[in-house]
Amino acid sequence: MADDQVTLTIDDQTVSVPKGTKVVDAAKSVGIEIPVFCYHEKLGPLGCCRMCLVEVEKMPKLMTACTMDVGPDMVVKTTTPKVEKAQKGVLEFTLLNHPLDCPVCDKGGECPLQNNTFKYGPGDTRMDFHRAENLKAGPLSPVITLDRERCIACQRCTRYSEVIEQDNALVMHNRGFNNEVGTFNNEPYDTRFSGNVIDICPVGALTNSQFRFKARTWDLTNSDTLCAHCGCNCNMTLGVRTNKFMRIEARPNDLVDDGWICDKARWGYDFLESKNRLVEARTVPDNGTMVFSSPTTQDAAVRTAEAIKKIVDEHGPESVGFIGSPYGTNEELYLYQKLFRLGFGTNNIDHKTYADSPGLPIDHYDVSEIETADLVLVIASDPTEELPILDLRIKKVVTRHGVKLAVLNDQATLMDKYAHLSLRYNIGSDAGVFAALTAAISGEGMADIKTTGIKADQLKSLVEMLRASKKVTLIYNSSALTGQSVAVLKQLMAMIKNIPSIECGAIPAVPHTNAVGAMDMGILPDYYPGGVPVADGEAIQQTWGETAPTQPGLSAMEMIRKAESGELKALLVYRANPVVDFPGGKQVEEALKKLDLLVVHDMFETETAKLAHILLPSNGPGVDDGTTTNIGGRVQFRKGGLKTAHPPDWKIISLMANTVSEEGDGINYITSFSVTDEIAKNVPGYAEISKKSIKKEGMTRVSSASINATGAVSKESSPPKPEALKLRIANYLFAHNTILDATSTLAHHFKPSIVHMHASDAKKLKLKNEDDVVVVSGDTQVSAQVEISNRCNPGGVVLPNISDEQGVWGLANSRDSVTWVEIRKV
Amino acid sequence: MFAFSKEAEKKIEKILKKYPEGRKRSALLPLLTLVQRQERHVNPDAMREIGRRLDLSPAYVQSVCSFYTMYSNKPVGKYLILFCINISCQLNGCDELLAHTAKKLNIEIGGTTEDMKFTLHREECLAACSGGPMMRINDTFYENLTAEKIDQILGSLD
Repeated sequence: MADDQVTLTIDDQTVSVPKGTKVVDAAKSVGIEIPVFCYHEKLGPLGCCRMCLVEVEKMPKLMTACTMDVGPDMVVKTTTPKVEKAQKGVLEFTLLNHPLDCPVCDKGGECPLQNNTFKYGPGDTRMDFHRAENLKAGPLSPVITLDRERCIACQRCTRYSEVIEQDNALVMHNRGFNNEVGTFNNEPYDTRFSGNVIDICPVGALTNSQFRFKARTWDLTNSDTLCAHCGCNCNMTLGVRTNKFMRIEARPNDLVDDGWICDKARWGYDFLESKNRLVEARTVPDNGTMVFSSPTTQDAAVRTAEAIKKIVDEHGPESVGFIGSPYGTNEELYLYQKLFRLGFGTNNIDHKTYADSPGLPIDHYDVSEIETADLVLVIASDPTEELPILDLRIKKVVTRHGVKLAVLNDQATLMDKYAHLSLRYNIGSDAGVFAALTAAISGEGMADIKTTGIKADQLKSLVEMLRASKKVTLIYNSSALTGQSVAVLKQLMAMIKNIPSIECGAIPAVPHTNAVGAMDMGILPDYYPGGVPVADGEAIQQTWGETAPTQPGLSAMEMIRKAESGELKALLVYRANPVVDFPGGKQVEEALKKLDLLVVHDMFETETAKLAHILLPSNGPGVDDGTTTNIGGRVQFRKGGLKTAHPPDWKIISLMANTVSEEGDGINYITSFSVTDEIAKNVPGYAEISKKSIKKEGMTRVSSASINATGAVSKESSPPKPEALKLRIANYLFAHNTILDATSTLAHHFKPSIVHMHASDAKKLKLKNEDDVVVVSGDTQVSAQVEISNRCNPGGVVLPNISDEQGVWGLANSRDSVTWVEIRKV
Repeated sequence: MFAFSKEAEKKIEKILKKYPEGRKRSALLPLLTLVQRQERHVNPDAMREIGRRLDLSPAYVQSVCSFYTMYSNKPVGKYLILFCINISCQLNGCDELLAHTAKKLNIEIGGTTEDMKFTLHREECLAACSGGPMMRINDTFYENLTAEKIDQILGSLD
């Protein structure tokens, strides 16, 4: 037996567990339950509730099983009369002031206090005095209700705030006999991860205001599903009653979310019942060709396929295109690329406006690899706003596992506080920094880093940190990079890999839910699914047949430009909103208006949908089944929960495919998993993915190798005017858009438009805090208030994307180079 | 808005030097004490300021502050009387003396005189059991109290 294993006896059962395990967890591992309140495996021991008392041989008193490490040959007894008496006594005390309102308590039915009392408690109480009267059901925040009478002061929530979220926003006031959970000065507890305290509260003291009095927990139909808001794909349970959305709870999966979800996951699902939902298909009469006004979705899908086919027949396959969404599932995206490639014969397929290509020169690390690294290097990523659960994971490993953190970014983020080294490069100089770092590692000496804003000794410290590490996990957000610099970054990765003493992998941290899946499914003009380049004709024809197109197609931005020039006639936009989210703003809208046929397949009446000739409703997350691939390359099943008669997207797409198929009926898929099976067959890297293999914890797919990307450091663009500043558009988690609309439960998180400036620039422009300004680029203006926060280096501004209405992407012309803006006082 | 006085700032500089790098949170109690002395109570603005200086959340500062009876959340009088009511003092008749003091000052226990001169609080053991009954006024202990002695002490303070 290995030295780090300890063998002990619990209730006559022999248990062997790793050294350092607590007795309570050791018992759990063999199915022996020791009741607890304050103990939570993610929070570690505290020992304040005394519920877990057990008898240990040779120890004179009862011991708390949650604070005691296992010892060799320890003999633990959990059901002796002495233990049972103690449990009864502890529960009688715990219940002294607890109100008997279980019949109206939301926790009822899933309440550890209720369960433990039933199993271990006394049937009666000797409490004759008045019970303490305290705050009954007050708001702790706009989304959490606090009932101080029910609180048993176990401190799980306050320790969560201290240990996990690490902001100490929730604390115990008046420590001692009158202690109570509270915030500073009774301000709302409205952090990004506040909702987790509801899940871990072992009584009904902290409850979900949205779910309050909506349903009894045992009446809910629970679906094991995934969050659809970001690339973390956290696991959660969707509770439904009478086909109505009720609530969301975390469903721990250590490999993905470490047991937590953010507040956007918990309360960001009002869109399921949004007024803005697209509920029926619509066609707009266009030159008299579309005559029927209220078709069924199936009719509209058939008409869509026929209309696109007609344009292909008249103008050739290069005249049609598809803009997909990194929010679609693998099945939906796979079917769409297949429809356009095989049905319409075009590679005009894309889902993004920034540069990136499938595959990595190093391993694609799963999220859990952050825990075993000794250096985490975060590049251009802002986990807190983009992939919130990653923020918790990084904080955990840095503060509790001694992992080193280095941050390389053009803007300040909350990660800087935890970083051992935080380097800030000038906006737009990312490629220069990566190239300089590559040169420094290869020993070619220092490249010119004058224009990057990073000093030579800083770069040297980073190289030293890298060289001193055995295992490096690199987290990078390619959607926050400029031009082709992602290719330069991949060269850097290859260079790090060449250092023999370093094991290195990367997590591509693009924020969108299925950004990795969209690349894998070949929603790209120059790659087939599985990262097979269009140039690889042989491999393509083997899988996709003789007719599969092997000419590179148009990128999303090129499609918009060709629509403008009239060369692109028809475009199908799937769950994307180019008018708001693409660089160009008004120009994108004008271009789309010129199309002969614009089909929008979406969940919402977006700005792009308003221009469509045919509108196809999409059920989306919460309703449709499908798989998504998270930032760690882990494929998991996202089950729907709500039922609808409206066909799922995969059915709509396969109906279109069958309409244009020359073999008549084509393929009929029975469930979304039928598509998953086809993906396993046709997409390299997904061979092992099946309903069964991803059932429990999901499964990582095999990442494709990167094609040697070439990206040169482009010359620094010069400002159009001396006072122009470089623009960095930042993400904000709770942005006000179609997903979180005005009626959203999270509306209290909406923020005004703020432009972050460096003090030196503000001084030059004679601006001070809270000045009302417009950020101007060409004809586009975005209103904002000045905040002199030094969030970026001098010469740039950071503008968080806080709402669709704000229209920040209208300022940018393209992602090819940095955008220059002027700040004008109004 | 709260601001530390100039003297307090000098003291803070000294206090912070006592603790090693990365351990400045240890200065929390000394800084709360400075605020209590300066303002005769600790208000939320001051807690926020201390949190900012020591890199602590204001909620954490408040949670510490609410534990200690030496810090109060509303202004106390120029003289804060902490009257021991623990066992030794009680056996020696502190209850009557406390009632006497309250009557003399014409306030409830826990209250403050209108002229903001005296505040009277019950206090648990102040570790002067050999001299009970006893009270503490600001930083001074008064032991072996009698009603006359209390009258004399209160009269001598201006």
